[in-house]
Amino acid sequence: MESRITFENVREAIEKLPMLSPNVSRLLQIMADEDYELDDVVNIVKYDAALTAKVLKAVNSPVFGLLNPVTSLDRAISYLGKWIVVSIILSDSTGDLFSRPLAGYEGQQNALWRHDLFAAFSSSEVARYAKQSFEKELAFTAGLLHDIGKYVFAPFWKQASGEALGRIEEGSVADYLAAERVLAGLDHAQVGYEMARYWEFPEPLQQAILYHHTPEQAPERFRALAYAAHLGDMCAMMAGCDTGNDGMQYQLDNGYIEYFELTSESLAQILLETEIQFKQAISSLSLEEEVDK
Amino acid sequence: MSDIILGIGDYGASKNPGSMVKTYALGSCVAVTMYDPILHLAGMVHVALPESKINRAKSEECPGYFADLGVPLLFDEMVRLGCQRKGRGLIVKMLGGASVMAGNDTFNIGKRNVLAVKKILWTLGMGPVAEDVGANHSRTVSLYADSGLVTVSCPGRGQWQI
Ligand SMILES: [Fe+2]
Ligand SMILES: [Fe+2]
Repeated sequence: MESRITFENVREAIEKLPMLSPNVSRLLQIMADEDYELDDVVNIVKYDAALTAKVLKAVNSPVFGLLNPVTSLDRAISYLGKWIVVSIILSDSTGDLFSRPLAGYEGQQNALWRHDLFAAFSSSEVARYAKQSFEKELAFTAGLLHDIGKYVFAPFWKQASGEALGRIEEGSVADYLAAERVLAGLDHAQVGYEMARYWEFPEPLQQAILYHHTPEQAPERFRALAYAAHLGDMCAMMAGCDTGNDGMQYQLDNGYIEYFELTSESLAQILLETEIQFKQAISSLSLEEEVDK
Repeated sequence: MSDIILGIGDYGASKNPGSMVKTYALGSCVAVTMYDPILHLAGMVHVALPESKINRAKSEECPGYFADLGVPLLFDEMVRLGCQRKGRGLIVKMLGGASVMAGNDTFNIGKRNVLAVKKILWTLGMGPVAEDVGANHSRTVSLYADSGLVTVSCPGRGQWQI
């Protein structure tokens, strides 16, 4: 089939991606560490004037309604949370990765950004219910990055995607991920993993990206994180923050119950909490005008 | 143009000629539409969760987020804009409430939303004359003030009416 994509094609496309700034790599590295301090994050940001300005602009945005303007980076980051730094720094250094419309998915401008941001907040909310605790911030970052593969995959996927929903409906493939694999030869999780390796993301993030739809296959030590990203992804789609024609077309992996204590009440709380944080985030990052479809 | 675009937890109604009330991408959320055919008054609410008791603070701040509060509020808004009809005179439809594939009970919030909407409608003495609920795809819903037409669309699946 001519619509098949090879790893060679993908690798060529990945090599055309911008290099990540050393700041991004350091930040991701630090946040993947178990015990890092706020100071470690502040230290990365404070030498970058543009980044500092953006963090301060976000904290002083009307949505937080602070009486006195916050002018110190420490206070801004401790008030907002480290997510703000990760989000700004990533969207800044990845070009149009999160904003470009996803061709093969019929995704709107900024759909990936909205989806990933929602998934990030819900992954970190899900992490609160972990049976064995792990870093909320790592879950956030995994949620934020889980679908980066769609960016490189989408232009290739365009030729074959028209058949995907039909295949799922007739039951010849289990879900959208399987449709990608059958119709194109590989899927967006595998492509995302290649990108994560190219950018030398910390290993837990690479693994969470690769296994975000199939967390039961993740190596044991990364499995809980892969499940957090998986569930965050599900929440985003349930809340209507999807990336286009693949919305809600993925199988839920029920194996999460071994890692997370979720009831219908706690899931409702997660969705509610996420919605609040998500709304604040898109308005403080001034994404609102652009995201209005 | 005086279209009303509703986000999650919003409700609103319009009787401006040529206008519509619209909401994007209902996943497990449910939209309830109400239409008064005499006034050409079109209203909609986009609810996300079945019951407000889960979070008192949020339910005061954004009651439309919850089926048990949002649906009565939409009806109040219809009345405020002149609607005097009840029961069968008011055309009520219900859309959304999709679920993820292979979802278990915990994740079937869509179904719980649909049940909660039905329950509160029943309490108000109403019932949906048409519904497009469940399955596992998102729905973007528009209700037109002039005609009362309800259209649904989904990326990759085109557009249809209920
Ligand atoms: Fe994905
Ligand atoms: Fe996703």
